[in-house]
Amino acid sequence: MTVRPTGYSVLRTGRAAVLLHRRAALVAVLLGAALAVTAVAYLCVGESFVRPAEVVRVLAGQPSPDEFVVGTLRLPRLVVGLLAGAAFGVAGSFIQTVARNPLASPDVIGVTHGAGAATVAAMTFGLAAYTALPYVSILGGLTAAALVYVFAWRRGLHASRFVLIGIGVSVALGSLTQLLLTKGDVLVAQQAKVWLTGSLNGRGYDHAAPLAAILLVLTPALLWAVRAQRTVSFDDDTATALGVRLGRVRLGLTILGVVLASVATAAAGPVDFVALLAPQIARRLARTAQIPLLGSALTGALIMTIADLLARKLFSPIELPVGVFTAVVGAPYLMWLIVRTRSRSGGAA
Amino acid sequence: MTGNRLRAEGLVLTYEDRTVVDGLDLEIPDGQITVVVGPNACGKSTLLRALGRLLKPRRGSVLLDGAELARIPTRRVAREIGLLPQTPVPPEGITVSELVTRGRQPHQKWWRQWTEADERAAGEAMDRTGTGDLAERLVDELSGGQRQRAWIAMVLAQDTDLLLLDEPTTYLDIAHQVEVLDLVRQLNRERGRTVVAVLHDLNQAARYADHLIAMKAGRIIAQGAPSEVITADLVHEVFGLACVVVPDPVTGGPLVVPGAPWPSG
Ligand SMILES: Nc1ncnc2c1ncn2[C@@H]1O[C@H](COP(=O)(O)OP(=O)(O)O)[C@@H](O)[C@H]1O
Ligand SMILES: [Mg+2]
Repeated sequence: MTVRPTGYSVLRTGRAAVLLHRRAALVAVLLGAALAVTAVAYLCVGESFVRPAEVVRVLAGQPSPDEFVVGTLRLPRLVVGLLAGAAFGVAGSFIQTVARNPLASPDVIGVTHGAGAATVAAMTFGLAAYTALPYVSILGGLTAAALVYVFAWRRGLHASRFVLIGIGVSVALGSLTQLLLTKGDVLVAQQAKVWLTGSLNGRGYDHAAPLAAILLVLTPALLWAVRAQRTVSFDDDTATALGVRLGRVRLGLTILGVVLASVATAAAGPVDFVALLAPQIARRLARTAQIPLLGSALTGALIMTIADLLARKLFSPIELPVGVFTAVVGAPYLMWLIVRTRSRSGGAA
Repeated sequence: MTGNRLRAEGLVLTYEDRTVVDGLDLEIPDGQITVVVGPNACGKSTLLRALGRLLKPRRGSVLLDGAELARIPTRRVAREIGLLPQTPVPPEGITVSELVTRGRQPHQKWWRQWTEADERAAGEAMDRTGTGDLAERLVDELSGGQRQRAWIAMVLAQDTDLLLLDEPTTYLDIAHQVEVLDLVRQLNRERGRTVVAVLHDLNQAARYADHLIAMKAGRIIAQGAPSEVITADLVHEVFGLACVVVPDPVTGGPLVVPGAPWPSG
C-alpha cells in the first residue's frame, strides 16, 4: 500500500519534493483574489470616488487625472495596512502555535501593548529619532514578551497561566501608556493617542518602508517557520521523540512573532484583534492540522484593509481609527473564546 | 563492553527536586522484547522518557552504542529510537494518514518533504496496523483502539531499530490489547526490532516479554526471563498483592492469579 498524507500533493523538481496542502493553496488563491478586489475598492472610495478603471490605470503606471488622489494619498496608506495586517496575521499564527492556544496572540498577551508603550515613551520624551521608532517598538515588544515569560514560567509554560499573565501585562502596559500620555507634550500626546487606537490615517511610505525591509530580511526565517510550525503541534514528548528541537523551534517562532507584531505596531499602531482573528479564520478555511502561514498573512491583510475601508468611509467625513473596527468583531470573539475555553477545560490542566 | 545498544549507568532522574529514580543500572537486550512492570507512579514512564532522551538525567547517563545519549543530536536519536508516550496529544484536526506520515519527520529535510522511502515506510506502517481504512479519518474522531493503532503506525513509520512504548494497551479492550501486543511481537520477531514496553497486566507481560523488569519506587527489584522473575513473593513485594502463580494453560509460562490460596477444609 502506498500512502500520502490526505489532502496533500507532492510538488517535485529534481531531488526536491515539497508537500502542498491542496485546500490551503486554494484558500490562499481565493483570499488573494478577495484581497485584490478589496484593495481596488479601497482605492476607489474616499472623499471623492474614483472609477475602478482609473485606479487600475494608476496602478499600472499609466497617466491619469486621478494619479494624485489614488497614487499619492490612498495607495501608501493601503500598503501600510496590507503589510501591517499580514505581519499581525503571521505573528498571531506563530504565538498561537507555540502556546498551543488560540487565545495567545501578541495583542492579547501584551506584546503589541509593550511595543505601543515603548513607542509612546520614545515619542513623548523625544528619545528616539522618528526613523528609529520601529526598533524602539521591537524592543518594547520583546521586553513585554520576556516579562510574560518570566512570570508565566513555572516548571514549563502552562497555556492558561501564560494567557492570564499576558492579559495582566497587557493591561499594565496599557495603563503605563496612559500615564506617559499625561506626562508628555499635549501636541505629541494628541498624535500618540490617534496612533494608539490603531489608525492608518496619515500613514505613508515612510511607515511602510521599515516594515517592508524587515519582512524582506525575515523571508528565509519565514520559510523555515512554515515547516517548523508543523512540527511543534504535538505535545512536547511526542514532538521531541520525532526529533524536533523543541526549545529552539519555540524560541525562534516566538522571537519572529514578537518582532513581526512589533514592527506592525510601529507602522499601524497597536491594532487589536487582527493577530487574534486572522490565524484562526485561515485555519478554519484551510482545514489544516496546523495554522497556515500564507493564509494567516492574507487574512490579516484582508481584515486590516476592510476595517480601514470602513473606518474611512462609514462615518465620513469623520475618520475613525481602524482599531475600532477590528475591535467590533474581535472583542466578542475573544469573549466567546474565553467562555468556551473555560467550559471546556472544566478545571483540568 | 557488551553488545547491547541501549544501556543506562548510575541513572538519577528527577523532576525539580523530587528524585524519582536514584542510581539505576540497566541494559536493554538487543532484538528482544523487554517489558517493564511496577505499581503506579513507580517511575516507569520516567525511565522510558530518559531512555528516549526526553528527560535529561540529573546524574549518570543513558548510552546508545556506547555514546552518551544526551550528546547525540535530537534528530539522530529520533532515527534510532522511536517513542510513544503514555498519553500523546495529536495536532487538532489531523487525519490518520497525516499523523502516520509525521513519523517520517526525522528522515525528512525542508526541501525533501516526501520521498519514496517515506511513502514505503508509511504504507507499511499502515498495513501492519490495519489503519489503511482509516487514512482519511480525523484522529480526534476515532475510537480508543483505532487511535492507538494510528499512533503505533506513526512510530512504526519512524522506522527505528528501537521502540519504546509506554502503556500501548491501556484504554483498549482485551481483543485490541492482544492485537497490539501480537503486532509488537511480530515486529520484533520478523524485523528484529528491540522493544521496551510498559505494561500493566502481569500476565500479558509474562506472555510477551523476553526480558521482564519489575520496578518499585524507582528501583529495579528483579529482572530476567518472566518464568524466573514472576513468583508469588515478587508480586507481593512489588505490588503488595497476595497471589498464586500457576502455569499458564496456553503457554506454560507463569500465570498470576490474585488472592491467597483458600484454606483447605
Ligand atoms: N512532569 C512531572 N513533573 C513532576 N513530577 C512528575 C512528572 N511526571 C511524573 N512525575 C512524578 O514522578 C513519579 C513517577 O511517575 P511516572 O514515571 O509517570 O510513574 P509510572 O509511569 O510508573 O506510573 C510520580 O510520583 C509522579 O508524580
Ligand atoms: Mg506511566
